[in-house]
Amino acid sequence: MIGVPRSPVRKSRLDGVFLGSVLSLLILGSLAVFSATHPLPYYHQALERHFSAMLFGLFIFTVAANFAYEVYEDQFWTVYGLVISCLVAVLIVGTVHKGHRSWIQLGFFALQPSEFARVGMILILAAIFDKRALKMEYLSTIFVSLAAIIPIVALIVKQPDFSMTLTLFPIFFTMLFCAGAGWEYLSGLGLFSVTAALMPFLYLFLGSYYPHPGAGSSLYLFMEVFQSKLFEFIFILVLAAIFGAAYYVNFLMRWRLRASLFLAFWLILTSGVLLGIAVSHKLKGYQKSRFTAYINPHSDIHGAAYHVHQSQIAIGSGGFIGKGLFSGTQSQLGFLPERHTDFIYSVIGEEMGFVGAVIVILLYLGMIWRITEIGVNARDRYGYLVCCGIAAMFAFDFILNVGMCLGLFPVAGIPLPLISYGGSSLMASLWSLGIVANVGRRKYALL
Amino acid sequence: MKRNFSPERLQLLLAGFAVVAAVLVLRLFQMQILEKAAYESAANRNRTEMVYQTAPRGIIYDRNGIPLATNEPVFSLIYLPPSREAHQKELNRLAEELSQILRQDPKTILEKLRQARQSREALRIAENLSIPVMFRLSELKPFYPGIDLVLEARRYYPFGPFASHLIGYMGKITPRQWARLKNRNYRMDSRIGQLGLESIFEKQLRGTDGAVKIEVDAQGRIQKILKRLPWKDGRNIHLTIDAIVQRAADEGLRHTATQRGAVIAVDPSNGDILAFAAAPSFDPNALLGADPFSVDYSTFVPSSVPEFDRAISGLYAPGSTFKTIVSVAGINEGKLNPAQIIFCPGYFRLGRRTFLCWDHRGHGNVDFLTAFAQSCDVYFYKMGLLIGADLIEKYSKLFHLGQKTGIALKGEEAGNLFGPETSMKRGKPWIGGDTLNLAIGQGRLLVTPLQMAVVTAALANHGTLWRPQYLSSIDSKDGGEILRENPHQLGFVRVSNKTWNLLDEAMSLVVASGTARGAYIKGIQVWGKTGTAQNSSGKDHAWFIAFAGKPGQAPSIAVSVLVENGGHGASAAVPIARQVIAADFRVGKKSQYQWPKFSPKKIGSSQKGETL
Repeated sequence: MIGVPRSPVRKSRLDGVFLGSVLSLLILGSLAVFSATHPLPYYHQALERHFSAMLFGLFIFTVAANFAYEVYEDQFWTVYGLVISCLVAVLIVGTVHKGHRSWIQLGFFALQPSEFARVGMILILAAIFDKRALKMEYLSTIFVSLAAIIPIVALIVKQPDFSMTLTLFPIFFTMLFCAGAGWEYLSGLGLFSVTAALMPFLYLFLGSYYPHPGAGSSLYLFMEVFQSKLFEFIFILVLAAIFGAAYYVNFLMRWRLRASLFLAFWLILTSGVLLGIAVSHKLKGYQKSRFTAYINPHSDIHGAAYHVHQSQIAIGSGGFIGKGLFSGTQSQLGFLPERHTDFIYSVIGEEMGFVGAVIVILLYLGMIWRITEIGVNARDRYGYLVCCGIAAMFAFDFILNVGMCLGLFPVAGIPLPLISYGGSSLMASLWSLGIVANVGRRKYALL
Repeated sequence: MKRNFSPERLQLLLAGFAVVAAVLVLRLFQMQILEKAAYESAANRNRTEMVYQTAPRGIIYDRNGIPLATNEPVFSLIYLPPSREAHQKELNRLAEELSQILRQDPKTILEKLRQARQSREALRIAENLSIPVMFRLSELKPFYPGIDLVLEARRYYPFGPFASHLIGYMGKITPRQWARLKNRNYRMDSRIGQLGLESIFEKQLRGTDGAVKIEVDAQGRIQKILKRLPWKDGRNIHLTIDAIVQRAADEGLRHTATQRGAVIAVDPSNGDILAFAAAPSFDPNALLGADPFSVDYSTFVPSSVPEFDRAISGLYAPGSTFKTIVSVAGINEGKLNPAQIIFCPGYFRLGRRTFLCWDHRGHGNVDFLTAFAQSCDVYFYKMGLLIGADLIEKYSKLFHLGQKTGIALKGEEAGNLFGPETSMKRGKPWIGGDTLNLAIGQGRLLVTPLQMAVVTAALANHGTLWRPQYLSSIDSKDGGEILRENPHQLGFVRVSNKTWNLLDEAMSLVVASGTARGAYIKGIQVWGKTGTAQNSSGKDHAWFIAFAGKPGQAPSIAVSVLVENGGHGASAAVPIARQVIAADFRVGKKSQYQWPKFSPKKIGSSQKGETL
């Protein structure tokens, strides 16, 4: 900004790259949805819904872009109350679709409140971290912010929407990181998440490679113990003994390390493992098989691994310039499942080829780059934190979704924002981008 | 304005995101540029499906061009399995619906559907659908993707049980055959010749199956036809069989009391088989859809199934028909004086044992011709002792008894020679009573009806033993004919003309005034010899061997008839032989021998319409 006179009354312009990449993604996405919904029997209805949601989303974007974002911080409790009441309402009056009570039927289309709640959670976390700017290094900040989002997470788990829940933690973690939390707490939290996430993997890994270990073998014994309630108890005791012994060694050797450090490690590992085990037992059959299919892709080519397999075939067969819109055999003949929602990127890969797929990546990269730039240049810490959260939301959704389509990650039902068919996701995304636009527009503003 | 935050951490994360994006681009490059070909072929495998159409087999004709085995166009129900996991309920419902329309057990249908899903290949659920069933299935098509009808050729035997042991039948390929033949374009639902010439000439008869390459969607619905590979018909085979003679033989056997037996008619001039009938027979049409022949071998009796070919595998004592060979031996060796008179009291005593004549009242004084015509056993007991068992055995060997005729059919039996030499080889002593039994064709002497036909033909042509053959020619691939093999001479019985003339006289006397008066046909000269073979299990087997020709011409047909447990040869076997000979000479009303007009339908391999 060298050479630009800094004036408090200067009105900043809309960011051209930002707006351009968002609009380009919307256009590319619309083309893909056009093609992917074409073989559907409710083709016209689907397109009607999609484009009315897009129009409405652009309206929300415009409103949000002109709506002072600080209001979300000032009205912290109102935002929090709205988020919670939306999520409670969906549990009471929501409709069930594919086993999830995630939708509220509103006249001609169904709204998915958790999409908006996720943006709400970013606003809430930004407000908390902003208010505790001077206490960011403290452990209490982590507990306070966790306490604030646990009801939101719990209500979404209750639906149950595990995929959505899965995306909340990276956002939380990124915001905590960007807000300046202490490294020791970040690493403790990281260790906790890794142990918690590893448990289901280990559990399913063993189950998929050794479905029937011979009775009497050590592995069999391990699986038996692992699956029993006793395991948790034994594990806590063993860990406690190890850490107790470590502390005793520390005491004898006069290393003068604090007892709380050992306690914290023990707590983190224990709670991580317990959470992991709880999640492993809670996983539904299809979720387990998705994990299994990821770990061992040849396990079941018709069942759980089918989706990823067909998606990879679609993308790989697209080649450099693709088969052309409406001409992808994988998508048009129905081999590609969920092609207009979760696997829309595979449709782009098949019909628009390497060129189209890379353009989507570049547009996303450009958009997220501009969001971070707007955040970096925001006029206050709250605006910065909101941009951090929104950038993280788009980045992780993108990585998980594209990684899934390419067969790099297990299948998780996460749509590709701005591209997938789905009104709620589109509107919530455009709302969040409108907020970012407002942060950008008002970087010099007094009010 | 004081900015109370430091954005370095966010910029660090942005850099991290850029790295991940680069990894994704690299992965895209790998998949879409480097490994494109593999994914492309996987996509093509997904969307294309081959539906095979069974080609028409070569037609089997008789010597006059009457088709004995042809093809008919049929519609088959095929199932194209969806590429993704179909709901079990869906499969169950489909199986239920189909079982109602096809009248099959839902469990077998479900099993087939599952098999198709597992192999990811189109599979035939049902074949040879009737028109109403086809209409009902067409109505089902919109509700159940993956169900389609395909036109193909199916073997059809217009006359049902007709020379069935010779022509054989087609059946589903057995797992063992499939393992051996899968590289030769056989599929798991292919039909293959399982018996007779359908099996022996499988390679020639089988055409090249056609195929339709189609594009399907994920549910197995046909989108469009990408390519049609027309089928190629199999090669036609022409037999020496005369359908009219064959019909007489088949019907004759069917009208016997036991409905078990065999009739074989050959041309004495070259060994061409004119009729080849065995009963019980089977309708090969009924076996087309049947599952591979499976039997419990612990309790399996081969002769209990209709597939058992009594003409080549059935072993019987020749009974009095063997007296022809005894006579040839006796006359030629000068041991038998035709003028010698022998008194038949109805029995013959040898040592302490009594051997009965078939006519217990006795024939009185008989010379050779009378004894032969009346089939007097006592005369032949005495002659047997005069000639000696060694000579009789030598002559039966000359007539190739105890040896396979070498007909190109599976399962031929060689039979059993009986005589001092054979017995010695088996370590059994030869006693006087054995000679008596041998002289009237009893004892352990065993022959097949086909062997007797070869012997009869040799009697007719004065000594030449032809290998019986049924194949006239096979069309070559380009439509021309491959010439038949030359007649193969098995052996020649070199005896004096006097012997043949005397035997001819004796055999014509059998028909004129002897035991086979029923074989007389006006205007045709018939020679014959009846036989009644005693056997340990039940009623006697009835034999009749005969040859016939127009007066003044060489005999043109030799027949051997056996009716299992038919009793007296004269009553059970002679009428059949008469019928067969009459059919060969087309005696009687012309209309009787007119063949129903039947021309095989031409089946186009690329007929358009609702079906593939």
